[in-house]
Amino acid sequence: MSTHNQGTELDLSWISKIQVNHPAVLRRAGQIQARRPVKKEWQAAWLLKAVTFIDLTTLSGDDTSCNVQRLCYKAKYPIREDLLKALNMHDKGITTAAVCVYPARVCDAVKALKAVGCDIPVASVATGFPAGQTHLKTRLEEIRLAVEDGATEIDVVISRTLVLTGQWEGSDFIKTSTGKETVNATFPVAIVMLRAIRDFFWKTGNKVGFKPAGGIRSAKDSLAWLSLVKEELGDEWLKPELFRIGASTLLSDIERQIYHHVTGRYAAYHDLPMS
Amino acid sequence: MAATRAGPRAREIFTTLEYGPAPESHACALAWLDTQDRLLGHYVNGKWSKPEHRNSVPCQDPITGENLASCLQGQAQDVAAAVEAARTAFESWSKLPGAVRAQHLTRLAKVIQKHQRLLWTLESLVTGRAVREVRDGDVQLAQQLLHYHAVQAHTQEQALAGWEPMGVIGLILPSTFSFLEMMWRICPALAVGCTVVALVPPASPTPLLLAQLAGELGPFPGIINVISGPASLGPVLASQPGVQKVAFCGALEGGLRLLVQESVWEETMRRLQARMARLRSGRGLDGAVDMGARGAAARDLAQRYVREAQSQGAQVFQAGDVPLDSPFYPPTLVSDLPPASPCAQAEVPWPVVVASPFRTAKEALALANGTPRGSSASVWSERLGQALELGYGLRVGTVWINSHGLRDPAVPIGGCKESGSSWHGGPDGLYEYLRPSGTPARLSYLSKNLNYDTFGLAVPSTLPAGPETGPTPAPPYGLFVGGRFQAPGARSSRPIQDAFGNLHGYVAEGGAKDIRGAVEAAHQATSGWAGQSPGARTALLWALAAALERRESTLASRLERQGVELKAAKAEVELSVRRLRTWGAQAEAEGQTLQVAALRGPVLRLREPLGVLAIVCPDERPLLAFVSLLAPALAHGNTVVMVPSGACPLLALEVCQDMATLFPAGLVNVVTGDRDHLTRCLALHQDVQALWYFGSAQGSQFVEWASAGNLKPVWVSRGLPRAWEQEAEGAGPELGLRAARTKALWLPMGD
Repeated sequence: MSTHNQGTELDLSWISKIQVNHPAVLRRAGQIQARRPVKKEWQAAWLLKAVTFIDLTTLSGDDTSCNVQRLCYKAKYPIREDLLKALNMHDKGITTAAVCVYPARVCDAVKALKAVGCDIPVASVATGFPAGQTHLKTRLEEIRLAVEDGATEIDVVISRTLVLTGQWEGSDFIKTSTGKETVNATFPVAIVMLRAIRDFFWKTGNKVGFKPAGGIRSAKDSLAWLSLVKEELGDEWLKPELFRIGASTLLSDIERQIYHHVTGRYAAYHDLPMS
Repeated sequence: MAATRAGPRAREIFTTLEYGPAPESHACALAWLDTQDRLLGHYVNGKWSKPEHRNSVPCQDPITGENLASCLQGQAQDVAAAVEAARTAFESWSKLPGAVRAQHLTRLAKVIQKHQRLLWTLESLVTGRAVREVRDGDVQLAQQLLHYHAVQAHTQEQALAGWEPMGVIGLILPSTFSFLEMMWRICPALAVGCTVVALVPPASPTPLLLAQLAGELGPFPGIINVISGPASLGPVLASQPGVQKVAFCGALEGGLRLLVQESVWEETMRRLQARMARLRSGRGLDGAVDMGARGAAARDLAQRYVREAQSQGAQVFQAGDVPLDSPFYPPTLVSDLPPASPCAQAEVPWPVVVASPFRTAKEALALANGTPRGSSASVWSERLGQALELGYGLRVGTVWINSHGLRDPAVPIGGCKESGSSWHGGPDGLYEYLRPSGTPARLSYLSKNLNYDTFGLAVPSTLPAGPETGPTPAPPYGLFVGGRFQAPGARSSRPIQDAFGNLHGYVAEGGAKDIRGAVEAAHQATSGWAGQSPGARTALLWALAAALERRESTLASRLERQGVELKAAKAEVELSVRRLRTWGAQAEAEGQTLQVAALRGPVLRLREPLGVLAIVCPDERPLLAFVSLLAPALAHGNTVVMVPSGACPLLALEVCQDMATLFPAGLVNVVTGDRDHLTRCLALHQDVQALWYFGSAQGSQFVEWASAGNLKPVWVSRGLPRAWEQEAEGAGPELGLRAARTKALWLPMGD
């Protein structure tokens, strides 16, 4: 995280003034996906860029140190070395932006990353993820423990009880959802969030980051997300400090597309290493 | 592992994250042009026609200038052959059951679906428009139009009973147009049973491709015929025997005017500029561009306008990712243009937006309505009440609330003022190609002897012809203007004779100044009358009906003087009274809500008054025709200026006596005098919103010619008599259609 959002005096009129033209948002969302196709070398380069935005995530009840370790290894080597060489990108140090795990797995992740010599941050979901319906005291304690274990980024679940009653909180990064909801990252919702980020930047000069999470599985989706951010916020937001994609299976599809770009063939399941 | 084939650039792009080209292959468009050996002719009666000894024009890629094909320049006999084919096709096509036509249109939609790639690449290639706009917009809508109109054809026998297809429709396309504009006109024409001859400017192959697709469908080859030729062939097409109507296409959408409230001006400009900076221009066939190019001529036009605006003191903002070379022109925002500068009055060219601030919504409405154009507008406001107020107040054909540019086959598009008076799509679009069953076909006769400069210019002088001998008391002398009888400006009178050659009475000799006064009076009454509830309008028309009933004996005896038998005279008065009652009952708003696929929310089809409607009544049926024309005009909220029967204006003046006591001043104005002269004054008046003329063929021709000045909708009889006593011709739905204009109001919803 580059600079923290130092916060501003809470001015609820900023929020109460906001109006969303729902049909127009839907239209814009449709346009972004149709109007900015990215092909050939551009597609390969954009996909590699997308890799560097991924918070490679495992958030399962049955996570153990073994699969967290495998995840961390994949975070360090997200794309097969020979494919990167073919693209002359092997010396760019391409890794995912972070790994993202439950608080109890932070230790495993820190250890595994250290073992492979990778200095990417460990992010942890905390604060009663995914519902956030635990006591404030335990939520704060959860954050403290995760940080003690070596997590440097915390995805905090905001209390939706407060939001729905109009009591807002501020943050450095905003995320579409936990990824555990029935509907997660959608373009219309993202447009509204990105416009809010832009307005806040125009008003205060503070850049708030953006993280869509949940349901982003295909390489094509990730390209649309990149152009969405590029169109709405501009290139200055297209860096890991301000943009992340929370995903677990996206990376393997990107790797398949890169494979196809380099070889002209579609990869078999066993051609690419699993994470 | 297979050999690698990656390019060297990925490294660079990884850092810049720029967009790359996403070219759409136009191989299929070129292959299609090859099937014609790169020489395009006309498509007539299901066959290509390439007559010899014709000049040819190159069809070029507007961006690269590459020669794609040669196109023939048609001549008069080519047009004649096409019209002949369309006439022959009309014989069978119009007699088919609607359901069969519906099937054929559905098949055409399917053919378009099957060959859509060819259609969109060809259109984008030759017009330079962004391919995604053609692919996702035009081609899809073209199919929807065919499907919608297939449904209309299917239900035609029930829904449009009492109407019949006009015949052969001529369609004249401007030099820049989208094939979709053509579809908006062709689909309803074909649906109701008409056949079409389209005159397209050379070097526009898409209409030819469409005609070929339709022609190859089989049994009805001659229903769409396309002639490629210069605009000078337009009059040839219009004067072909059998051509019942000529429709013009608008050119592609031009630039825009943007009115922004002062309080949000800075914020809006900032957001607009930020968004403009992200627009990408480029070759139309690139799938990742927002804007293509429309050729060097369009570029020069925009450039000239912007330079002039700058010299007149305007601020100019240009942005976006635009290739520097010709023929691209960046999206341009012009602001601070002084309202009185010439550029502020001129039409804004594409791709320019002219923004100006306003203080209140009322001022915005005045600014928006203060132009001669009136096709469409969008209103953006979070206050729904205010947005609706503006939406109702705007004098345009289409209003979008918090949205822009939405289209649906079920929603009529059209315009008012100089943006034209015809309608496409929806229920209104169908009537453009229908006429009431049994009414005579249009004769394409244009008199060469009519002198537009002198028609009705001079008023023949009239002299005293003896004392009046009509029923007593004689109606008050004068012109009925502004609610009272006034002396005419010319201070002279004309004698009116009865059927037996005796003097029936004197009426005032109205002139240009009286017309001006009458139109002014009518304008003053418009907002009051249009604002009346339908119930109030009904009450007033019924009150007039009751008053005429009381006046029955006077009216009947005046009719008798005109040679009508007493029984028939009484029946005519009775029928006139009934007409007022019938239209009064129909004054209830007749708008409706349309359902469309493209958005959630209703589209309102409003029927709004035209404004000041001028009516020149026929000589025959001096009472019945007068009332039959007056009643629908008033029921639909118009104010009127009427020229009563020239043969016997006295009956109309009798009615005026009752209107003087019942009606608000200026609602109805009646000017007597020389018909040709008064017609001339009305047709040349720019602030008359519509003109109905029932009289000679020459007068009709003059009215059509003169009204082109402000494109006011006209309805002329071309010297043909009308059966006023019959329901269809005297009180049919045609009158109601002509008496109001449609507005489509889009109301998208969403939380």
